[in-house]
Amino acid sequence: MTMPSVGILNDGAATPKRMTPWQWVGLAILALIGFFGLVAPLIGGDPLIQDLDHVMIKPCLSSPLGTDHLGRSMFARLGHAARLSLLLAALSVLTAAIPGALLGVAAAWRARWTDTALSTIADGVLALPGLLLIVLLTTFAPGKFWPFYVGLSLALWVEYFRVVRAASQTLLRSSPVEASRLLGFGPAYVVRRHLLPELIPVLRTLMTFGAATSVLSLAALGLVGVGLRPPTPELGTMMIELLPHYQEAPWLIAEPIFVLLLAVTGLALVAGERELR
Amino acid sequence: MTFLEVRNLSVQAGATAVVRDASLQLDASQKYTLLGETGSGKSLLAQAIMGNLPAGLSSSGSIAVFGETSAADEPMKRQRLWGHSLALLPQEPWLALDPTMRALSQVAETYQKVGRVPDGVKGARRRASADFSSLGLAGAERKLPGALSGGMAQRTAFAVVRAGGARLLIVDEPTKGLDAGLRDGVVSMLKQVADNGGAVLTITHDVAAARLLGGTIGIMLDGEIVEQGPADQVLAQPRHDYTRRLLAADPESWAPRTQPTPGPPVLTAKGLSKRFGEQQLFADLDIEIASGGRVAVVGPSGSGKTTLGGMLLGVVPPDSGSVSRRPDVPAWKYQKLYQDPIAAFAPRVRLRTSLRDLVSRHGLQWADVEKWMERTRLRASLLDRLPDQVSSGELQRIALVRVLLLNPVLLVADEPTSRLDPITQQETIYLLAECLADLGCALVLVTHDAAIAGNIASRVLTLSAPPSRTP
Repeated sequence: MTMPSVGILNDGAATPKRMTPWQWVGLAILALIGFFGLVAPLIGGDPLIQDLDHVMIKPCLSSPLGTDHLGRSMFARLGHAARLSLLLAALSVLTAAIPGALLGVAAAWRARWTDTALSTIADGVLALPGLLLIVLLTTFAPGKFWPFYVGLSLALWVEYFRVVRAASQTLLRSSPVEASRLLGFGPAYVVRRHLLPELIPVLRTLMTFGAATSVLSLAALGLVGVGLRPPTPELGTMMIELLPHYQEAPWLIAEPIFVLLLAVTGLALVAGERELR
Repeated sequence: MTFLEVRNLSVQAGATAVVRDASLQLDASQKYTLLGETGSGKSLLAQAIMGNLPAGLSSSGSIAVFGETSAADEPMKRQRLWGHSLALLPQEPWLALDPTMRALSQVAETYQKVGRVPDGVKGARRRASADFSSLGLAGAERKLPGALSGGMAQRTAFAVVRAGGARLLIVDEPTKGLDAGLRDGVVSMLKQVADNGGAVLTITHDVAAARLLGGTIGIMLDGEIVEQGPADQVLAQPRHDYTRRLLAADPESWAPRTQPTPGPPVLTAKGLSKRFGEQQLFADLDIEIASGGRVAVVGPSGSGKTTLGGMLLGVVPPDSGSVSRRPDVPAWKYQKLYQDPIAAFAPRVRLRTSLRDLVSRHGLQWADVEKWMERTRLRASLLDRLPDQVSSGELQRIALVRVLLLNPVLLVADEPTSRLDPITQQETIYLLAECLADLGCALVLVTHDAAIAGNIASRVLTLSAPPSRTP
């Protein structure tokens, strides 16, 4: 999950509301997971190597988070899974947000044909549940990563489109925009000074929620067995693999659940309170 | 009987006193009018009496309502009286009505739940109907607030407040943005309350309304009541210097000004007409505006003044007719000042940035900005703020600076001072007229104030009220 670079986009504009302490906590949590996802695969070794002499051992110095039922390092596996989740979230949110927002502005700007065509497509996509779209795509390439990415982006862009279109329609009809046009400013100025400062806070909130949706969807599909396939380390597949062993080794299934919980909590905290304007 | 007695009331915002040591008394059948400019603390004084001061303000002193004395910082004691003994008619009452409820039902509900009249719903509806006919609202019973005109909405809100049965009424800026006809209607409603044994405390910056109301007047300046007494005495022989300036700023008493000699036309409009749905706003209107000329457009609320202004600038398309401007002059030399200056600025962009953008867009010099800022008596430090962090009067002058930078040939000013207090209004209009005369720029002034129109313009175009909407 990346934060849009507010500083570059609205230089002269007022600094947006300062981050609240809770938003900082959320950011710290995400940074922690990101760091873990970067470092664990490097120092934790191969997440696929089995060691059947040491299965389900408790966390110790040699394997910091224990090993699973096949003796694989949980440290390395969780690291890979965390990296995968965050990467997918960031990628699909960006691919959904950028075109979604641009098309939203376009639809608001050129009311007639462009708006009708784009809105029809968006409504069509909306009629199809997001998860169903992903499941459909996974049948083409079972166990591959790209159907998730494509499916999530396809399902998520509509939200950005609709929100940005509605907000831009109001803004473009407002008197500050009328005043700017009378003063001789063109479309680029209207976007930079009128649309962006108002849209960025909304987009930021939407993007963090979108990222949380992505992380949860990937895990949910893995859990019900239509997502990535074992042995790929992924939070959902790890949960379902470790579920039969929860009585002997409850800490093992708790670990991916905890990482998922942390990631979603972190994102929800960063989203913060929605600005009421 | 004394309805209200305020003793040594002070309101503090942090270390600064926004209301200082105010005392006033209001008896049955009396009217008290607090007159003062925006930011003088008169609204805070009313809020302290009601007991709904914004959080973060502290108050001291004592307030007695119907003989029951409570300390200013015990708002709960007065909140118990809301509705049935002590009521507030809010500013812009059309915003205070429930937009999803029909007009009569809102009044009847108040009769039933707040006034607690006998025989329940039926009695309440009967009384509400009687109010509607006595207030001239017959026919509006089943309308939603959105379908009411400004004056009707105001009378409905008044009926709601009166239905609660409160005998002490506080009224906040009842005439803001109303034309003379509607203003007189509001004033006579308020007078009736006092004639029927109630008491009215009115907060206003409108000298004419205060004069019409009569009763006692208190002049408020910087949180202090600097002068109080009977209305005719205070208004005829003001003792405080500020009161004198306030009265001199009344458009009725402005000095007549010389009209510039007009040049060739900068804009010619022929056969303009516009209708909104069923309603014909105006038809077949011809206007010619000469370079440097001044035209005022007057008319009651809803007569299409703002629409006409938009049409001259090409922002609103006319239903029929044409507007032709000088072909040798770029479109951005035709400019507009807005009624609410805040509506003319991007809300999250600092004023300095807005002006800097304009300077670079049109290849101007920053020195020009400084020159006009000085001319309009604005401090440069204001530019480091956001539009909502400066006062309306200052922001309107910044909007004027922004427009003057372009050396315009025509300025459409849409009620540019209707939200300003009299002294600021006079300053702004004078400044506007002087600056435009320097540039030889023509002015179309949209206003509801006939006195301002007569003072400024050489030609007054009167739009009549549209026929009332189908019942």
